Amino acid sequence: MRSKLRLAALVAGLAVVASACAAGASPTPEATVAPTVAPTVAPETYPTGDIKITLWTKEGEGDGALQFVKKLTQEYEALHPNVKFGVTNKDVEALRQDFLTSSLAGNAPELLWTVADHIGPFTAADTILPLDGLIDPATYLSNALAAVQADGKTWGAPISYGNQLMLYWNKDLVPTAPADSDAMIAAAKAFTDEAAGKYGLVFNQTESFWLVPFLGAYNGSVFAADGKTPTLDTPAMVSALTFMSNLKFTDKVMPKEADYNVADNLFKQGNAAMIVNGDWTLGAYADVFKDKLGVGPIPKITGADFPKPYTAGAFFMVSKAVGDDADKQFVIADFIKFATGRDAQIEMVKTLKRLPGNLEALGDAIVTGDPYLAGAAEAITHGVPQPTNLEMRCVFDSMTAGVRDLFTKGSDPAAVARNMQTSADAGVAPGGECAAE
Amino acid sequence: MFDWSQAGTALSDVGVTLVVLVAAVAILEGILYVVFVRWRKARLALPIMLITPAAIGLLALYVYPLLWELNVSFTKMNIRNFIFPGFLGLTAERNIFVGLQNYINVFTGPVLKQTGFFQLFAQTVIWTVTNVFFHVTLGIGLALMLNRRLRGRTAYRAMLILPWAIPATASLQIWRTEYNFEFGAVNQLLGLVGLGPYPWLSEPIWNFLAMIITNVWLGVPFMMVIVLGGLQSISHEYYEAAEIDGAGPVQSFRTITLPLLRPVLIPAILLGTFLTFNQILVPFFINQNELETSDILVTALFRAAFQYSRYGFAAAFAFVIFAILLVFTVFYVRWTKALKGAYE
Repeated sequence: MRSKLRLAALVAGLAVVASACAAGASPTPEATVAPTVAPTVAPETYPTGDIKITLWTKEGEGDGALQFVKKLTQEYEALHPNVKFGVTNKDVEALRQDFLTSSLAGNAPELLWTVADHIGPFTAADTILPLDGLIDPATYLSNALAAVQADGKTWGAPISYGNQLMLYWNKDLVPTAPADSDAMIAAAKAFTDEAAGKYGLVFNQTESFWLVPFLGAYNGSVFAADGKTPTLDTPAMVSALTFMSNLKFTDKVMPKEADYNVADNLFKQGNAAMIVNGDWTLGAYADVFKDKLGVGPIPKITGADFPKPYTAGAFFMVSKAVGDDADKQFVIADFIKFATGRDAQIEMVKTLKRLPGNLEALGDAIVTGDPYLAGAAEAITHGVPQPTNLEMRCVFDSMTAGVRDLFTKGSDPAAVARNMQTSADAGVAPGGECAAE
Repeated sequence: MFDWSQAGTALSDVGVTLVVLVAAVAILEGILYVVFVRWRKARLALPIMLITPAAIGLLALYVYPLLWELNVSFTKMNIRNFIFPGFLGLTAERNIFVGLQNYINVFTGPVLKQTGFFQLFAQTVIWTVTNVFFHVTLGIGLALMLNRRLRGRTAYRAMLILPWAIPATASLQIWRTEYNFEFGAVNQLLGLVGLGPYPWLSEPIWNFLAMIITNVWLGVPFMMVIVLGGLQSISHEYYEAAEIDGAGPVQSFRTITLPLLRPVLIPAILLGTFLTFNQILVPFFINQNELETSDILVTALFRAAFQYSRYGFAAAFAFVIFAILLVFTVFYVRWTKALKGAYE
């Protein structure tokens, strides 16, 4: 019965995804993308000279993703012995900072494997190339492609689609998915034993990315309708912060201190019954828990709506460091085609359990028949696309400072919301680091 | 698996750089030889030949970046203006000259997301004074212990110098892990004596305390070694004479040890103050959650430049920090007459 429900959820999830692909649901790439802007004329045949490409990736070793990236590059090198890749892993924030710094210094890497919200700072700084003309938009899920389109140009090639936060639960400790937040808190309380180091619910208490779903549950949004004005000091934000604060200080189902790694370890070791974490870790959890892993949307907040996590995914971006080197552009475009092609994407689904950005792979039985991906697909139906403009960067930074205040000092949610707003306003105001010119 | 090709590339890059540097120095020396030895037959030819490469190196690595930084500080170079600033931002592809506005913003606007200059300055003063106090007092105490006849003195000395010998980035990674609330050794050890657990990484006061404990651990060996060197240069005859005159240990310390340590201690304290004031590694590693209450001026400078991409603002902020240290140095040197020996 449960497997049928999962299948139904997966079909429903994919239907939403597919409906988004339909004309009218969201701008089709053909409709929004500017005419081909291939910066240079591509060579007619595959380049034969030695070509070295540096790739920075956000993927780490912990869940096997870095190994997957290296395997892809090695397979490509085997096909083209004159091409050599240097793969370096950098944490998402370090990748953003280091890429900007190295671009300024004139030694940036050629290729990035990173998140969609880097589009804002990278395009503002004019450090990446548009990919129109280098990739075939028809290959990709239009929703995923839309996440990296701005100013009529496509700035990334989708590797995976999702990135949404979900609820994972250990079925040995919580047999069934909590129906709503009350049920989730009740299950969490039943398991929590602080003295024994056991907690009902864990998540990263240091990043604003984990605040976004709860804000959405109360119908809040980080931006006004113009997509640029921060709206953080709102009743919805105060409700979301109060809900999160209560989890820790009133319901006492969360640890006193938990960053990403602590939360992750507590869950993996069986010391936490549930965790809110992203789809990127699905493969690692599936390896640890096998059929004891439950995956689904974060439960509906009682008296409000379903939490609405941001959705985006992982994308290739091409640095301006490539310059006018037509051979390098050709090889990079070819590698992107290889790495986001059906076969490589199916391999990614098997290894990392991520929803692929490639349309053909998305419809494959390996995706539609995977019980974990059913939960992920259901979770994605509640998601909202993550803004990629530069203002988002400032809002994230401001919200992160607020989240840390909330969880470390137990600050009043209303005061936290006010401080977030003041800080974000300063960032987008004229002269601020995210100010529009 | 170790990536040999990347290591090879890095080593070959370093090798090429070294070869270029050696070749450049050789060419420079050749020119200097021809000009000052053969042509001018200058009396100071040898000193000029020895000093010139180092002087050019200092100009390139210190003076030029400082002038460049000053240049950037008058521009609104940031993520929206991520362009080559040219001269004062006036010759950039668009005019980004803002005059002294960045310097004004340092004192009037937020430096971080919620924290302004004056709070950061106060945090830095508390950080520096507390650390230097413990470095000096513990350093003197340990040096006095090690300066006496003591069984196993060499082993103690090696153990106490160990924090200084371990690369700071490695030891700080370990400290950061050990401060973990759930899994860290610090809370587990405190638990054995019925204390804690304490949120070392997530609560402002505990995090600041964790930073100070770590930096004291890291900085005491330096002060201890300096003081030990000073103590060993004091003749025992003074103490013997004092003992004959009936002076106790405290009186000997106050009237012999401290005054004779002064020439060593004053520059060591000055150096320790600079090192602590500019200590970026400890706050950077131990303040894992980026609590603004644990930031000091230099970590805030790093965040302004590389996290928030406010390059023009960060350049001005850097000069403000430089000015603070300059003023402190001038007053300290005058007050302590630290350079008396040099100009008399």
